[in-house]
Formats: sequence, C-alpha cells, structure tokens
Amino acid sequence: MTLAVESPYWLLAVLLALLPLFNTAMRTNPYPYTVLIPADALSTAIVWGIRCLSAATIIALVLGLAGLHQTEQIQERIGYGANIVLLIDRSNSMDTNFIGKTPEGGEESKAAAARRLLTGFVQKRPHDRIGMAAYSTAPLFVLPLTENKPAIQAAIDATALPALAYTHISKGLGMALSFFDQTAMTGSRIVLLVSDGAAVIDHDSDTALRQLFKQHNVRLYWIFLRTASSQSLFEPPKDSRDDNAQAMPERYLHQFFSSLDIPYQAYEAENPDAMQKAITDINRLEQSPLHYQERVPKQDLSTACYRAATLGLLLLLAVKCCEVKR
Amino acid sequence: MPRVFSDYRFYGLLIALLAMLLVFITPNTLAKQPIYNLTIIVDITRSMNAMDYQQGDKAVSRLTYVKQSLHELLATLPCQSKVSLGVFTERRSTLLFQPIEVCTGFNEIDASLAALDWRSAWAADSRIAQGLKQTLDSLKNSDSTLVFMTDGQEAPPVNPRYAIDFSALATKKKGLIVGVGGLQAVPIPKFNEKGESIGFYSADDVPHRSSFGESNLNPETIEGYDARNAPFGKAAVSGTEHLSALQESYLQQIASAVGFHYSRLTDTASLKQALQDAQIATLKTVPIDRRWQFATLALSLLMCVYLLPHCQRFTFKYFTKFRRA
Repeated sequence: MTLAVESPYWLLAVLLALLPLFNTAMRTNPYPYTVLIPADALSTAIVWGIRCLSAATIIALVLGLAGLHQTEQIQERIGYGANIVLLIDRSNSMDTNFIGKTPEGGEESKAAAARRLLTGFVQKRPHDRIGMAAYSTAPLFVLPLTENKPAIQAAIDATALPALAYTHISKGLGMALSFFDQTAMTGSRIVLLVSDGAAVIDHDSDTALRQLFKQHNVRLYWIFLRTASSQSLFEPPKDSRDDNAQAMPERYLHQFFSSLDIPYQAYEAENPDAMQKAITDINRLEQSPLHYQERVPKQDLSTACYRAATLGLLLLLAVKCCEVKR
Repeated sequence: MPRVFSDYRFYGLLIALLAMLLVFITPNTLAKQPIYNLTIIVDITRSMNAMDYQQGDKAVSRLTYVKQSLHELLATLPCQSKVSLGVFTERRSTLLFQPIEVCTGFNEIDASLAALDWRSAWAADSRIAQGLKQTLDSLKNSDSTLVFMTDGQEAPPVNPRYAIDFSALATKKKGLIVGVGGLQAVPIPKFNEKGESIGFYSADDVPHRSSFGESNLNPETIEGYDARNAPFGKAAVSGTEHLSALQESYLQQIASAVGFHYSRLTDTASLKQALQDAQIATLKTVPIDRRWQFATLALSLLMCVYLLPHCQRFTFKYFTKFRRA
C-alpha cells in the first residue's frame, strides 16, 4: 500500500498541529495559587487527551486538504484467460453475406456476423488480454493487447465500416505475431483469425512465419467464414487439376497451418450458427490458468480524513460544552 | 445563559463543525469544461514520408512529426474526451477504433498511434478530396468531430473535369483540417519491397498529369490530340509531382468550402490552439470538488481558536505596558 498526496505543500500545515500543546481552547479560571492543587493523574490525562484530539483534528484536516490517496496498485491474480490477438480480415468480400451476395433486408453480412459474435466472445472472457490487428492488402495495427474492454469493443465496432481491399494474409499473420514480441507474458497465446478467404503464402513469408509461430509458442484458431460457393478446407477438389495453391488457397493455407506443428484448429463457419459454435469451443478450451495483473485504481482517502476531522470537531465542541462555571 | 455561549472559541468550533458538515452535504460545484470527441484521420500516403520537419537537430518525416504531436496532444486532453483514430490512403479512410475515452484508454490509443505506419496503406493513390468526402459521409451519423491531417498532395494530379464540388459537401458540422509539411517542395523517399530506403522518387517515377477520362481542355487546343489514342495530347509532360510541399491554398480552399477550420501543423501548441479556434469542444457540465473551501474555512477557524488567546495575551501585555508608560 502506497500513500501519496496531491499537493505536498499542504503538508507543511501539519506543523499547526503543535498549537494545541500551548492551548487547549478551554477557558482558564484564575486561581490564586495553583501549586496548592495536588497533582491529579486523571486531570493531566484528560488535558493531554484534549490536546491530542485537537492535534488529530488539525492533522486530519490538513491531510484531507493535501488530497491524501492510495496510489494505483497492480495486484497479481490468477484467473482463467489468455492473451488473444484477433486478426480480422477487412477485405471487400467480408461485406457480403454467407452466400456471397450483398446483404438485403434483414440479412447479415459476414463482417456483421463476425462483429456480433466477437462482441459476445469478448464479454464472456473477463480476464483475457485482447489485442487486434486487421489486414487487407496491408496489415493494420489496431489495438495493443489490453484488458480495457470498452477499448476492445470500440475496435470491434469500427469494423462496421466498409472493408478495404484484397487479402494479403501472410503480412497480417506477421503483424498478429508481432504482438507477442514482448517476452514477459504468461498465459496461453492465441491468434484468432477471422477471415472469409485466403491467399497464397509466398516462399519467404512461409519460412519466416514457421519460425515465428514456433518461437512465440502460439495457438492458432481459424474461423473460416465459408461462402456457399467456395471450396471446403477439408475436402480434396473433385478435379485433381485444381489441387494447387492458386486454385484453392484456403485448403493450402489450412495445410500450411496444420504443418506448423502448433496447436491449431480450423472452423468452417457457413452461417452465423456455425461460427457461434466455434467461439463457444474456444471459450471452453482456453481456460488455462493465467497470471494476470489487475489494476486497482487510485483510491481517494480525503473523504475519510474529512470525516475524521468532523468527528474530532464534534468531540471538541462537546468537550467545550462540558466546561463548568467555577 | 451558560457561560460557554459567551466564549468566541465555542463559536469558532461550532462554525468549523458546520463548515465540515457542508463538505459532506455539497461536496461539488458544477462547472463547464471543454470536452472533445475527435476522430483523427492521418494521411499515410507516401508523400507523408517527406522529411521536412525538425525534431531537435534531426530531420523527421511528416508522419513521424504528426505522431509525435498527437502523442503530446493526447496527454493534454481533459478526461471524458474521446479519441478515435483512423488512416487515410487511396481515396478513403478507415477507422482503427471508434472513440475511446482518453484517460482510461490512454495507453491503448497511444500504442495504436505509435504503430501508425505508411506501410499500412492498402493502395497507393492519394486522392485527398475524395478521401475527405468519403470520411465525411461515413461520419454523418456520428457526434465525433473530424480532424483530418494531410499534406494536401493529390497523386496523381486531379483532372479538373472530375474535381469534386465541395460546396455539395458543406455541412453544419465543425471540423478541422490540419496541413502537414513545409511550403518548400522536398523529394519523397522511396523504399523497396523490404522497406529499405532506396533514394527518392524521380520525375520519371510519377505521372505529372491526370490521364483519366477526358481532358477538361478544348481538344483543339491540345497538341497532338487524338480522340482514341491520345485524348490528352501526344506531348510528354514534365512536372514537379515527384516533389512534395504542403498544398496550403488547396487545403484552405477545401476547408472553407466544407466549413471547416484550417490550421498548419507547426508544433503541438499550434495544434492545441487550432482545436480551440475550431470551436469543436462541447462544454460539458462536470462536478468540481470544492470541499477544500470548507475545509480551509474550518482550519482557519481552528487556528483562531488556538492562536487568538496567545495574540490576546500579547496585545494585553503591550497595552498594559503602553498605559504604564
């Protein structure tokens, strides 16, 4: 516990607490010869009690004025959560619905479905640190890993705006992995990729990504928002001539991820319900203990000081009223 | 009448106690404070890499300087203000996040600000007028105020025939266009695929005139005009589009058409001043702690109670001495 004050100069006024040593604020009665009065321990104690009370009242007032507070604390706790980087596809096709058309009437675009479900996901996971990156042709850093839920929500909400351009997934993955560069980080590390398509990963990026995934010890979840017309991740094509990365980038990306030798899970979400299932799954699986730091905000103690001062004044006034006429 | 009522110290303590009770009854007074809700869009096109700002004795790029100024501005915004950050390239902007409260979200906004990068540009054109138009459209239903930071360099140059009519864009909403860069044209750094610097753009690298659609000129005045093969004429054009300077008059013209305030970025103080001049703050009534006033009163009264008897003794002595003399 660390105490601090807002305006330290007020603390000089603490010296005023010495004043009651010279004066008890009580009326003194002239007495012919005080030496004659026998020493009385009780009386002395009462006098000093009144002095201390006065001094305490003054100190409480001064501390209240100085703005005494307890500084922001960081407490280490253990909870269930993870470091999650949401990697969001902002390519144009995300603005279409699950059958590849512009949404009409009450239909939901893939981006809107992703947004709705991610919102629910974030709310269900109170202790996660969540960051966000987006990609289309180029990667876009959105939000660092943070516990600030309103900020995460603000970033998820911003994906409501129209999407950008094409899909350049390897740069996006590189950006997402760079979130884990800071080494001191406990708990599992997760990249949650939400996309509706893939692109070929070139040879250079292939090697670099393999190394990064290993190095950062990352788990990967891919929510593939499959449009009805596109190919499945898991089935080989009917025509073997189509079995290449150019014709089926999604299937090849899936193979690339599977070959990374990291915990990896792909979900084909063909409609909003399937995506819900994927998110529930992740929610259930990623419950390993995580050391996380909880910020206990600065606590104002001036109210307590003022309360003490008021009580002191009340007592002093009561004592004052106990004065008797000689 | 009890004797205590004739003692001023009783009243001192009583009034001090009443003052302290006020601390708990009316702790706050209401005051109006300017609160901002800003959507800051930063131009991340290549011309923003031009190095025409100084930081210490080091030349820095426009983008670096914008980031630094915004970082400093962020720290001075009053709590409850909100900031949303976005980037502009090609002919549109995108938001990274919706407005986040600056005091609780300072670290997050600051980290995103620090990560702004020209390499995030998803396409290479720099159509500022169109970008501004699109941004204004997308903010139509938002209560956030636009702050658009750009050097105003349209690349490739605009064909006047298709220039945007900004009077159609005029809104009642306030906003701010911040001009970034120097008035002296400087070369634009060029980078290779790996992000390594490879010199500067030369005159041959960039188009110096729009060749989109039809020319705005009368075909008869165009040298070597051919409706199908050379609608803009056969003559080679040279120009200075590979150099970049702040297009201040262009931005001022846009700003006045849209009804925005224009300001040039010279330092953080100028940016702060521009925010004030643009009058985009909303005055929000916020409670202000005034307990200190009552507490100070109580403390002074206590001082009277404990100090006055000494003063009295002093004056008494002084006066008796005086009388004797």
